[in-house]
Amino acid sequence: MQETIKPPVEARYREELEALKNTDTGKRPDNWQMSPRAVRTFILGSTSPIVYGDKEYRIEKKYFGNDALIERCIVTLAGNRGLMLVGEPGTAKTMLSELLSAAICGVSTNTIQGTAGTTEDMIKYSWNYALLLAKGPSRQALVPAPLYVGMEKGILTRFEEITRTPAEIQDSLISVLSDKVLNVPELGDEGLLFARPGFNVIGTANTRDKGVNEMSSALKRRFNFETVMPVREVSLEKQIILNEVGRLAEESHIAMEADEDVAELLASTYHELREGVSSYGHRIDKPAAVMSTAEAVSVYYQTMLTGYFYGEGRMNVDCLVQNLVGAVSKENKEDLEKVKGYFQTVVRDKSGREGGIWKQYYEARKWLK
Amino acid sequence: METILRSQEMAEIMLLPIRHHSPACSFQVRRVIGSWKPGVILVEGPDNANLLAPMMVHEQTQAPFAIYYSYHDKSGKLSGEKGHYKCYYPFLSYSPELVSFQEAFARGIPAAFIDLPYGDILAASGKGRGLLKEEEKNSYNDDYLLSRNQYIKRLCEKAQLRSFDEFWEKYFELNGLYEEGDTWFSHLLTYCTLARENTPPEVLAEEGCLAREAHMAARIIQWAEGKEVGDGSPQGEWRRILVVTGGFHTPGLRELLSQGQWEETKKDFRKRKGKVPEKDQGVYLMPYSMEAADALNGYASGMPFAGFYQKVWEGMGETLEPYSKAALDMLVASGREARKKEENLSTYDEICAWQMARGLGELRGKPQPGAYEVLDAALASYIKGEYNIASDMPIRALRRLMTGRGMGKLCPQADVPPILQDFEAQAKSFGLKIHSTLEAEAVLSVFSEKKHRRMSCFFHRMVFLGTNFARRVKGPNLQLKKDRNLIREIWKYKWGVQIPGALIDVSVHGATIEEAAISLVKEQLKKDTGAGEAARLLTAVFEMGLSGQLEAVYERVHQVILQDTDFYSVADALKFLRMMEELDTLYESGLEIARLVPVTVRKLVSLLPSMAGIKDENLGPCMDACKTLNQAVGGMEQEKENFYETICQMAQGQIHPGLCGCIHGILYGCGRENSQQVEKVCLGYLTGTREQLLQTAVFFRGLFFAAKDMVFIGGRILGMLDTFFGQVQEGEFMELLPQLRMAFTYFTPGETDKIARMAAGLHGKEGKDILQRREILPAWSAYGRELDEYAQSHMAQWDKDGRDDGR
Repeated sequence: MQETIKPPVEARYREELEALKNTDTGKRPDNWQMSPRAVRTFILGSTSPIVYGDKEYRIEKKYFGNDALIERCIVTLAGNRGLMLVGEPGTAKTMLSELLSAAICGVSTNTIQGTAGTTEDMIKYSWNYALLLAKGPSRQALVPAPLYVGMEKGILTRFEEITRTPAEIQDSLISVLSDKVLNVPELGDEGLLFARPGFNVIGTANTRDKGVNEMSSALKRRFNFETVMPVREVSLEKQIILNEVGRLAEESHIAMEADEDVAELLASTYHELREGVSSYGHRIDKPAAVMSTAEAVSVYYQTMLTGYFYGEGRMNVDCLVQNLVGAVSKENKEDLEKVKGYFQTVVRDKSGREGGIWKQYYEARKWLK
Repeated sequence: METILRSQEMAEIMLLPIRHHSPACSFQVRRVIGSWKPGVILVEGPDNANLLAPMMVHEQTQAPFAIYYSYHDKSGKLSGEKGHYKCYYPFLSYSPELVSFQEAFARGIPAAFIDLPYGDILAASGKGRGLLKEEEKNSYNDDYLLSRNQYIKRLCEKAQLRSFDEFWEKYFELNGLYEEGDTWFSHLLTYCTLARENTPPEVLAEEGCLAREAHMAARIIQWAEGKEVGDGSPQGEWRRILVVTGGFHTPGLRELLSQGQWEETKKDFRKRKGKVPEKDQGVYLMPYSMEAADALNGYASGMPFAGFYQKVWEGMGETLEPYSKAALDMLVASGREARKKEENLSTYDEICAWQMARGLGELRGKPQPGAYEVLDAALASYIKGEYNIASDMPIRALRRLMTGRGMGKLCPQADVPPILQDFEAQAKSFGLKIHSTLEAEAVLSVFSEKKHRRMSCFFHRMVFLGTNFARRVKGPNLQLKKDRNLIREIWKYKWGVQIPGALIDVSVHGATIEEAAISLVKEQLKKDTGAGEAARLLTAVFEMGLSGQLEAVYERVHQVILQDTDFYSVADALKFLRMMEELDTLYESGLEIARLVPVTVRKLVSLLPSMAGIKDENLGPCMDACKTLNQAVGGMEQEKENFYETICQMAQGQIHPGLCGCIHGILYGCGRENSQQVEKVCLGYLTGTREQLLQTAVFFRGLFFAAKDMVFIGGRILGMLDTFFGQVQEGEFMELLPQLRMAFTYFTPGETDKIARMAAGLHGKEGKDILQRREILPAWSAYGRELDEYAQSHMAQWDKDGRDDGR
């Protein structure tokens, strides 16, 4: 049995990364472990396999959606500005930032988790007070936080949910991002930490709760913004559900095949509720809750677990609908009414026209309460 | 590049594949012309445009311009519809075809178009395919065969590029700057051959490709053999012939010009002579805009981003990195534009964008950043925050710049079509200022001055032709039946560079403005339209003062009216016709409206019986139509008789009560019924079943609409109304209130007062008594409220007990 629930990206893809690193012939920005082109290949996949050692590595596509966005992200990180990924919750911003960090510097765990309680010392550095009292301020007594680590080692620092932190704390990044220097006044003349090449910051912010509008324009100027959009194709969304669920199942040692039909059903439901229009052209009320692909994955995975441990080892549509109810009625009661409306129009028509699983789905509407 | 070397006595032919509107193609074509030194250059393009070549290469002519082809199918070669057809062949300064002509001109060698004349291309295309596609603007050099098929889709997926245009830019535009001509053209030819192989042969035939290629090949042979070319082009023996055609046709031409096919092609050409008469075809140069040439604007003629590629083309002579230069220019210009609109954009943002563009170019394996890198760079560096409609201003500005705003100009020698001459002559005779681009105003007393009426007609015609030359700011509007009391029209007009283009655009319809307008009217009438719409169109004819050649228009309107079975549409037509009839003395249109009115009346009367059971919401328009009919039949004995006969019969059958009231009102008005008869019908409703009683309100509405004066005569109607109010209960009254209110809207305030007085009289009161209310003591009101609450609580209790008992 493996030792961690979710190994970091660099551990999960260690072999792929090794193969890419060692076969990479492109120019590398200073301190990057591979060239921008290899980073692109790592995230977007390669058409032909890579031969390294005596093995062939087929690099699979890890991020579905906008390829040009990935390219822009990579170029941004090689430049002077930080990268800020913004978008609806569940659009794989965090996953993307992990992939980028793992590919560029081999470390995706140098992370600040932004919350309302984040303080400056969680970002820059704090002190080991025992040592501080014993020896006075010195490098040994200093406990580096992710920003310090990033600058010192020349690697990427990830700042998750940056807009959740108070504005004055966010602003502590400004001088670091523009001058690439961090001053530790306690250390006197030796207190200037100049960032090594390869250092940069990837921030993520979701547009739902506290938008980027409250970010100071001084800080905004130090970032290139990339808006990550929800996946617009049902087929792609289905593929993501299948991939992610497959990975989760493998990690949890659940020997159960993902069911394509159910994934398609769920992908259509989420897609249609998010867009407010069905594939037949029905107009639907959009729920206020987040209808992200990540949510769809979790609904699917929950249903799968129930089927595996309590059921007959297969996906149960009734259970799927129950989990769907749980997922959409987070914010308010009206959302459930909207989902009911969706069942009474779209699902009803689809069960009539397409039958099969859509019929079962429509029959399971009794759980919508 | 495909060189076909004929035998020693014959010429050497080089087939050069190109893509329309491609700077790299133009660059390479120019190089080939310089090194290979052809004796003649033959270019793909309808050969009836050859006479325009000197104007195209004239130093005062500035691209973008287009060749405008028109064809009026008078002889019905294409279809029985005998329609008007037109298409455009746009040229930008970096179009390889234009560059070929310019180079030939500079070297003093002949150059000519070799494709089928436009009309014949149409004749060779399948219905709705090729240039017969039903689009607003058809473009001769549409590259869709090169850019849209399954093979190309897969290719883009495989190359991880988002579209064919990006593919083209990466592999052909950018490489075109570095590769040798031979390599570059051979890559292009491979690509075109594959695209062609992935196009089914039946599509080739339907699109008219095969016929065109046969014609082009035959023309090439004529030049090669030094034969007389039909249009008197110079002939002789040309040792080296350069043929510049769309890459899609090169493989086809190679086949037709091959050793084995040569004679066959010649023979085939002799057999097929032009089907389409030349006199019905028009060909002119017209100024064009980059916006129109940009594929993103929906015309799909060649490459997008005309403004960006124009910059690239201009940079080719100056620098080795024209793309980098154009990209930087675009980023800086769009940054400046964004700053002007108060976007918070700094020079450093521009620097970052430039770095981003270069970085992306490198990452994507492009030697210089292209159009897609520029767009991506701006997206990453100029947008601060979420990318949405509120924050995308810099991108919109950049897109506009990349599309370009350039407008072409023609040399003074360029032939202008007669319609443009007619416009200039008329504008001159009216003293209109057409040499300034400032807006001018004309105030016209249309009904008192003949010249003003003529000017008004001219303006109306220009509006109808869609030229954007003039707009009416004040004056009667017959289409909307508005402001008919006004006796002056105020027009604003403005000359602009787009006006010759717009006029050339309609020149297929006639040689003068009047002719074009008449012909367009006829065209519009051909569409499937109803009587109402046809009559509305006739009001435009009326305003435009069109006369002559209108026989066909009358015929068609007549036919439309006879065919229309929609009562309301025919009623609408009648209203328009009557309006025109009334106004004819003022407008002196000379239209024979009087011919159409009786037809419409007869048609409407014949449709009337089916209206007996109309729905409530249609009552208003239906009563309106009856009233118009009643007015229209005034002078027509036979029709009058028919009309009254019809409504008499309708009134006797099952009929909507509102319409029933209206019909009885009309019959009373014309003396066919007296007041007793009408009252009897009214009484019938009042004494009928409960349901019928409730219909009385609608009946009154109909009656008052047609004959409101009945209320004041005899007073019996009012008495009945009073009885009616007495019989309905409060709830019912509230339901009927809207209908009753409608019924009383037909009276003037004075009349309503009079009715109120009469109603008060019925109850022994005077008018002013109605306004007085009795005071209610506070104690009474309190008692009433208490009683109400008591009853309600008891009812609730009773209801609850009943349920508890299981009752």
